[in-house]
Formats: sequence, C-alpha cells, structure tokens
Amino acid sequence: MSSKPSSSTPPPSVAMGRRAAGVSGAVLRGGGKRLLPFVYAAVTIAVIWELVVVITKPDAAILPSPWQSAQTFAHLVANGELARDVYASLRRVLSAWAGAAVIGIPLGLVMGYSHRFEKIADPFIELLRPISPLAWIPLAILWFGIGEIGKVFVVFIGTFFPIVLTTVAGVKSIDPTLINAGRVYGCTSGISLFRKVILPASLPSIVVGLRISFGMGWAAIIAAELVAAQSGLGFLIANGMEILRADEVLVGMVVIGVLGVMFDSVFRYAHRRLVWTE
Amino acid sequence: MLESIGKALRIRGLSKTYFTRSGEAVEALCPVNMDIRAGEFVAVVGPSGCGKSTLLQILAGITEPSAGEAYADDTRIHGPSIDRSMVFQNYALFPWLSVRRNVEFGLEHKGVPKAERREIAERYLKMVGLSAFADKQTNELSGGMKQRVAIARAFAVDPSVILMDEPFGALDALSRRLLQRELLRIWQEHRKTVLFITHSVVEAIYLADRIVVMTARPGRIRSEIEVDLEHPRDNTSPQFAELERDIYAQLDEELTRSFGLDQDA
Repeated sequence: MSSKPSSSTPPPSVAMGRRAAGVSGAVLRGGGKRLLPFVYAAVTIAVIWELVVVITKPDAAILPSPWQSAQTFAHLVANGELARDVYASLRRVLSAWAGAAVIGIPLGLVMGYSHRFEKIADPFIELLRPISPLAWIPLAILWFGIGEIGKVFVVFIGTFFPIVLTTVAGVKSIDPTLINAGRVYGCTSGISLFRKVILPASLPSIVVGLRISFGMGWAAIIAAELVAAQSGLGFLIANGMEILRADEVLVGMVVIGVLGVMFDSVFRYAHRRLVWTE
Repeated sequence: MLESIGKALRIRGLSKTYFTRSGEAVEALCPVNMDIRAGEFVAVVGPSGCGKSTLLQILAGITEPSAGEAYADDTRIHGPSIDRSMVFQNYALFPWLSVRRNVEFGLEHKGVPKAERREIAERYLKMVGLSAFADKQTNELSGGMKQRVAIARAFAVDPSVILMDEPFGALDALSRRLLQRELLRIWQEHRKTVLFITHSVVEAIYLADRIVVMTARPGRIRSEIEVDLEHPRDNTSPQFAELERDIYAQLDEELTRSFGLDQDA
C-alpha cells in the first residue's frame, strides 16, 4: 500500500472492494515471513519429542511418536471428527465472545464516560474479575447442566471482563478536547457523541480488548469442555485420556495451539488495517 | 433589546469559579462585560491563567459560567451550538477520519445532504490550500496543515461566530506567520465574527480590529484597544510599534503584580 490515489477517489464501494482484495493479498504475502518463527518452534518441538520417544521407548498409549500422531491427525481429519470438534468449540467461543462484546463494549463506554456510573458498576467488576472463569465451571454445570449454555456461560465470564476494562481504559484516554470538538461541531445528544466521537476514539483499545478476550475465551472453552462435553477440542483431549489414546490428546493440543496463533494473527492484522493511529 | 442590535456576542457579568479537589475555590474569571459586533475580529491577550480560555469555553457552550450570562445573536448561550464553531490549540481533528471527513463533520450534523457536504468541504479545503490532501489521514499532515484543516472545518459550517483558542500557539514561527496571513485573507473574504485568544501581542495587533487586555488571575478586562491600522499591517511601522509597547507595558504590570514583585519596590 505505498501508492495511494489522492486526486481521483474511487466511490466507497470500489474502495472497499479494493481494500478487501488487498487484505487477502497481504496475508498471503506477509504470511511466509511471520510463519517462519512458528515453523522453527514446531520443528524443534517435534525433534525433541522424537528424541524422547526414541530414547525412552514409551508405550504408544502414553506417548506416541510425532509420526504416529500425524497419522492420527490425518485420520481424524478424514473421518470429520476433528472438523466437528473444532466447529463445536469455535461456535461456543464465538457466540460467548460476541455476546460479551455486545454487552461489554456499551457498558465500558458508559463507565468510561460517566464517573457516577463507574462508581456504581466498577465495584462489581472488580469483585468478580479475579474469579477465574474456570471456577465458574462447577456452578455452570449445576445451573445449566452439560448442555451448550453452561459452556457459553463460562466463556462469557472469561471474555466479558477484559472487554469491559479495555473499553473503559480506551474512553478514559480520549483527549478531552476531542470530545469538546465533537460537541461544538454538532454532537448535541449523548448518543451522537458516543457514536461519532467516543466509540471511534476508543476503538484502538476496544480492538485490543477483543483480541485479548478471544484468546482467554479460547483457553476457557477447552477447560469447560474437559469437564463436561460431548464435542469440542476439550472433549477430544479429555476423551483421549479416558480411552488411553495419547495420540488424540496430542493432536487436540496441537490444533488448539495452531488455531490460537491463527486467530491472534487475524486480530493483529485487523488491528493494523482497520484502526486509526495518531 | 435595542442595545443588542448588530452585536454578535454580548457578555454580561460572566464569571467562573472552579473548585479544587480539596474544596478550595479558585476564581478563574471575574465578572466580565463585553460586546462584540457582527463581523468584528477581537483578540484577547493576557497572562497565563487569566481565564481567557475559560471565557472562550463558556462562549462555546462547553463550560457553564458560575454567574452572569452570554448571548449570541440575542439568544442566551446554553450548551454548544454549531453556529459558534471553534478552533483549538491542539487542532482537535478526529484522527479516524480523513481530512475531507473532518471538514464535513459539522455539516453532517447540520443535516446538509451528502453531495452538498462534499462540495462545501472541497471549497473550504481549497480555501486553505489543501485540496490535494482531502483523502489523507490527519496523521500524515504537519501541525500547520492540521490547523488549516481545523480552520476549514470551522468556516465550513458557516457559523456566525468563530472562537479561536490560541490556534497558532503550537506552531513554528514560519507556519505561524503564514497562517496569520491566511486567516486574515479568509476573514476578510467571509467577514465572520472572530474571537481570538493569543499570547502573542504582535499576532493580536496584526490581526484584530480590537484588542482586549486581561488582568492576571482572577481575570478582568483591563483595557480595550481599537487597532486603527490598514491591512496588511506592517509590524515595523511606528504605529504598530507604539501599540506593541503600550500593550506590553500593561501586560508587564500585570505579570509583576501576579508574581508579587511590586511588593519589594
């Protein structure tokens, strides 16, 4: 994106299309360089893993070789089980995370803007925040059983607080003259001020919060599925333990890690492209 | 109200007292009375902390006065209005919007249709010589360019009053000279009522029809000086120099008083 057309501006729809094309293009181009450190780490882990297997010769049910695990991976891909589990976990995380964003961002915007409201809401946040989402799992099972709602609830708890707190911090860091400028230039109602100034001004922090919370949600869902689930990556590895299939456990773990890195890089990319910088 | 005819701004007994965290009252602005005619360019100079920015914020409607009232075109000022636009010292451009969208911001809230908004923005960007930068992000501009965008934004909403809070205070000397000339040209063309706050005596004499000198905190009006010189004003002319001497003498007195230096003498 070095040359930008400055005089002849395309209509917004064309510009959007061009931007979208640029997005996928840049991912492909920049992908190789950014992938390299991960490839290096993965190869190192595989080599050490192989060495341990060769030297200690463990039972394959306890520690299979990388090659055996890769075969299990191929098998789980082929029979669709892995796709089913990834889909189940991802659906839970996405719905909980989106719900946390829908509630947490407006809450954070108002808390950051109004001292009075912050005084009312902040003690609850501070009191509940130190309780790990994992500590909510037993209660979630008691309340909602082992169905979908309980797991979504646990992820919601894990994603809600980082979203609220980063949004509050984002609003508080807004230069007050920007808010004054918004008011002088026509944002007479609170809603238009929020929509036109406060939300876009705090967007960089909000996007960071969304990214961090997604990572936390991804960690929380695995834990929730370990305890009570019939599907999902957490179920895959818990089940693998019970039926003495360490290869399935390892495949599940690797997939969790790789997907976690992928989601995070998508967020980083979105942050760089979509968010303004001062 | 006969006395108000032709007056864009009427300020009556306006004062502001702040309260610090410990509950201590700080008087920022003593009761101030002032009239500004429509189309007049008034500069306010005064020592730091004399409440001149507070005065401007009250007129903009973003700060409430503690007592007194201010009227814009006979309507009591209560809250901001797009009819009184403002230029801020630190530009206060919206960094998530392009240059063009920054200029269009106020127009959008005035309900101007999109095509017309764009046309108006183009016109005012041309006025400040930034047509080629319409699609840039604001972080790609220098300080002087940012302030030109802010001036375009202020004029684009076609207000009756423009409030300028030390608009050139953060600029380097050369950009400052350039923008002073530009502002004067634009003002002569559009004849808006301008209230201009500055630390620079030379800037005030160069631009204003009338200069209001404030006292040290708590701010009162110390004197008002009509500047009866033809534009463009030559800052090396004897009349200019005399005005400068006079205003500096007044400000020196205020500073001496505020630092308590006169007690030694």
